Amino acid sequence: MPKKQQPLAIFQSLRKDAFEALDEAADFESVHKVESDYLGKKGRLTNILKSLKEMPSAERKVMGSTANALKKEIEGKIKLKKDEMKEKVSGRPTSHWIDVTVPGKKILRGHFHPLSRILREVTAIFESMGFEVAEGPEAETEYYNFDALNMPKNHPSRNLMDTFWLRRPAKAEVGAPTEASELKNKSRYLLLRTHTSPMEVRYMEKNSPPLRIIAPGRCFRYEATDATHDIQFYQLEGLMIGEKISLANLKGTLEIFFRKLFKNKNLQVRFRPSYFPFVEPGVEVDIKLDSESEWMEIAGAGMTHPEVLKNVKLNPSIWQGFAFGLGLDRIAMTKYKIDDIRLFYGGDLRFINQF
Amino acid sequence: MHSFETKKGKVIALPSGTPDTILDIDVTPNRSHDCFSHLGIAKEISALFSLPLKKSEKLRRPAKAGIGVPTEASGEKADAYLKLDVQEPELCRRYIAGIMLDIKVGPSPIWLRERLIAVGQKPINNIVDAANYVMLEMGQPLHAFDMDKIKPVKIIVRRAQKGEKITTLDNKNYELDESMLLIADSKMPLAIAGIKGGKKAEIDKKTKNIIIEAANFEPANIRSTSQKLGLATGASAGFENGISPNIAPLAMRRVIDLIWEIAGGKVVSEWIDFYPKKVAPSRISFKVEDVRKLLGVDVSKKEIISILNRLGIKAKKGKEGTIIADCPLERLDLEIKEDIIEEIARIYGYGKIPATLPEGILIPAKRNDGYFYGNIIRDILVGAGFSEVYNYSLGPTGEIEIENPIALDKKYLRANLLEGLKNNVRNNFKYFDEVRIFEIGKIFRKSEKGVEEKNALAGIAAHKIPKKSSDELTEIKGVVEMLLSKLGISDFWFDDVKEGTGLPKIADIKIGDDIIGILDLNAFEIDLDKLINLINEEVEYRPISKYPAVIRDIAILVPFETKMTEVLDIIENTGGELLVDTDLFDIYEGEDLGESRKSFAFHLIFQSAERTLSDKEVNSLMEKIIKAIESKPEWEVRK
Repeated sequence: MPKKQQPLAIFQSLRKDAFEALDEAADFESVHKVESDYLGKKGRLTNILKSLKEMPSAERKVMGSTANALKKEIEGKIKLKKDEMKEKVSGRPTSHWIDVTVPGKKILRGHFHPLSRILREVTAIFESMGFEVAEGPEAETEYYNFDALNMPKNHPSRNLMDTFWLRRPAKAEVGAPTEASELKNKSRYLLLRTHTSPMEVRYMEKNSPPLRIIAPGRCFRYEATDATHDIQFYQLEGLMIGEKISLANLKGTLEIFFRKLFKNKNLQVRFRPSYFPFVEPGVEVDIKLDSESEWMEIAGAGMTHPEVLKNVKLNPSIWQGFAFGLGLDRIAMTKYKIDDIRLFYGGDLRFINQF
Repeated sequence: MHSFETKKGKVIALPSGTPDTILDIDVTPNRSHDCFSHLGIAKEISALFSLPLKKSEKLRRPAKAGIGVPTEASGEKADAYLKLDVQEPELCRRYIAGIMLDIKVGPSPIWLRERLIAVGQKPINNIVDAANYVMLEMGQPLHAFDMDKIKPVKIIVRRAQKGEKITTLDNKNYELDESMLLIADSKMPLAIAGIKGGKKAEIDKKTKNIIIEAANFEPANIRSTSQKLGLATGASAGFENGISPNIAPLAMRRVIDLIWEIAGGKVVSEWIDFYPKKVAPSRISFKVEDVRKLLGVDVSKKEIISILNRLGIKAKKGKEGTIIADCPLERLDLEIKEDIIEEIARIYGYGKIPATLPEGILIPAKRNDGYFYGNIIRDILVGAGFSEVYNYSLGPTGEIEIENPIALDKKYLRANLLEGLKNNVRNNFKYFDEVRIFEIGKIFRKSEKGVEEKNALAGIAAHKIPKKSSDELTEIKGVVEMLLSKLGISDFWFDDVKEGTGLPKIADIKIGDDIIGILDLNAFEIDLDKLINLINEEVEYRPISKYPAVIRDIAILVPFETKMTEVLDIIENTGGELLVDTDLFDIYEGEDLGESRKSFAFHLIFQSAERTLSDKEVNSLMEKIIKAIESKPEWEVRK
């Protein structure tokens, strides 16, 4: 036999043996054995590759390329066999095999502003109690912000809220009028509303009782800013008018609301005497989250003043009801443990993306 | 929890060494007329704890034995010594002038000095101190003038003249105007009425004869003057809130007693008392049923009467089950029955009010569209990777100016949202490479009526390392399209703005000819009020047909620069009424089409409100459409 043919024959028989062995392999161990027998440190094919060194260069070339081609072929078959084994184990075709422990691709998601979240929660609770959501202007008239709410000009109750006045165009007059009769023109003398109570008046002018509404909105006060005070903030006004709506109903409604909001059946609500010109009696509302916490002032409230009812042409001997105003920033700060109100209006994503 | 917020008492030591406690009480504005005084607070405490109040005779009496009532100077009355001319009875409702002769000015006794010091007042001399003391005790501001410095002895209560000046006791000068009330003699001002005394008739060491003033001034006028001059005193604070004119004589009696005790002298009988319009204390009648109805709790008639009596309100049974309440003269806040009910409630105790749910027909609440759609928009944008911000409504630019801005960079109401968002982007670039934010809020513009307030929506998708302009535009445009489509708005389009106009926008977002917003390179701002109106209209106009719809697809090859709307126009115009919807579902720009061509693919949805459409009908419509499209030389329908 010519010498050249012999080495090729070796390859052929090696190939035959390797393939037969793989076909017969019934488990991973057997496959590994074949791998090791032919391609391992002392494997048959490895030995041949090693022996190439001894050969003259022309032979080496031919032998080398054939050997390497065979190596690739056997490796390929081994891999196929291994895949088959894996499939048998997992029951899944191995071309689709996925490592489920690798983290998923991040889906880009934005974040709601915490005040939007709170507002959504709060309105959902009140809507479930049949309250309608009413909204109104941030640039208000003096009439709706003060006079209609029983706070006439030069009344000391106006001291309770420092106001931003809008500059009147053309004339250099300041916002406040000097003639009482001028006030009847409701659309003059603009300011930025200092509370959401004007909405009570606006709503009652257009809707007859019985009624129940909440009116959320941005308010403005001329105040020095610090961690708990800013020039703008969110309030939520509530109003319920009917034939027999009482102070006890106010307590009942607020109790349900706060318990749902803070998800705490044991939350307590209490009233303390206070004064607001548009309610009588007037109270401060405190809540206590649990036996360890302190009482916390959370809202102002009371029974709608007969003057306010008269201003919207309702007869106080037929209609009565309650009103309350709560600070949404304060509630959000309590619920989410935020320590500085100014974070709400800073637009800093490091803050907003936490919600 | 029955009266006022009180801060924990500060324990102090009086100069004499006696310990005492200071209470810091937050008196609400409606109770300042009776509770800006020790007596008023004492009455509150008496009501709360059912402790009897000391009778006034038992208050500090002269130490000298055998002296009961101050001696009189002579048979003369005060008006023999002094002429009083009140020219403004609307602004000065009562003026009592008392006269004492031969008093001796000196330092006040220790007990008096100590009490003044304890509440932060500076002792000056026995006359001035006595007046301050009684003011603090009873809540009636008092003033004393040196009678010998007033020649002729005439007191005029009048308005100031424009430019008239006064030097006050603390050596400050004020220029007055005709809105301000003065106490004056025939030559010059003696005091700014109800606010501060002037130097002219100051009590000094040599003073022998004095005029004591116990007066009552109109609150709004005092408040106005006090604000204009920037001068606030204990007296002005008292008058601003209103004081009952019926307290003046009680305070006059008390201060005369006190001055006589510590400075001696003789009292001239029968003060001058100008009091034309007498104010009677309130009498309010109400029913027990009113109390129960307002409070929602059963308080018995017996308890109501007991509570009111404790407060010094004389309550007795009236006709037909009513109760009649006669209120103490110093309580100006008790005017209507609700005021009485508040008194009952707070003494009864708010803790005893139960928590009961309201009765009444539950009318399901009407949906607030603005609020409802606002939340849908938030959901859509957050889902698309945008975070929500809230910015300040006040800023450095805008059309509506603030009269009294709190800071130079907050002089205007914002006229758009994008400026604030761009600012947010700049700040956030310090920490993030990509900033996607949106805001829903109010903006303010000038209008003929004054201020036009609108709801706006704006968003920005910014990259710190800017992408290719066309890529940025595609991104933001995609967001706007997705948003509007999800809201059910289908016929919007983008109208390019001419280059070089200098406007901060690349295109107007339009529905028909109506501009609803603008598009910039990586930002958009939309008129939310308009948008919400349109959403509602869209929803209303589509009638729901009970007949099935037929869907056919069509793909059209067009030159590269052809706008999608051009193609859509032809399809919709040809398709007519029965073509109820067209939906672009693919834009293909593959190499196999050739360099200068692209392909649009649409679903065409045919439906009739009156019948089921036949294949024949739909086929013939499709043929019409295909013919119309292919009539355009460079367009081709792909088969």
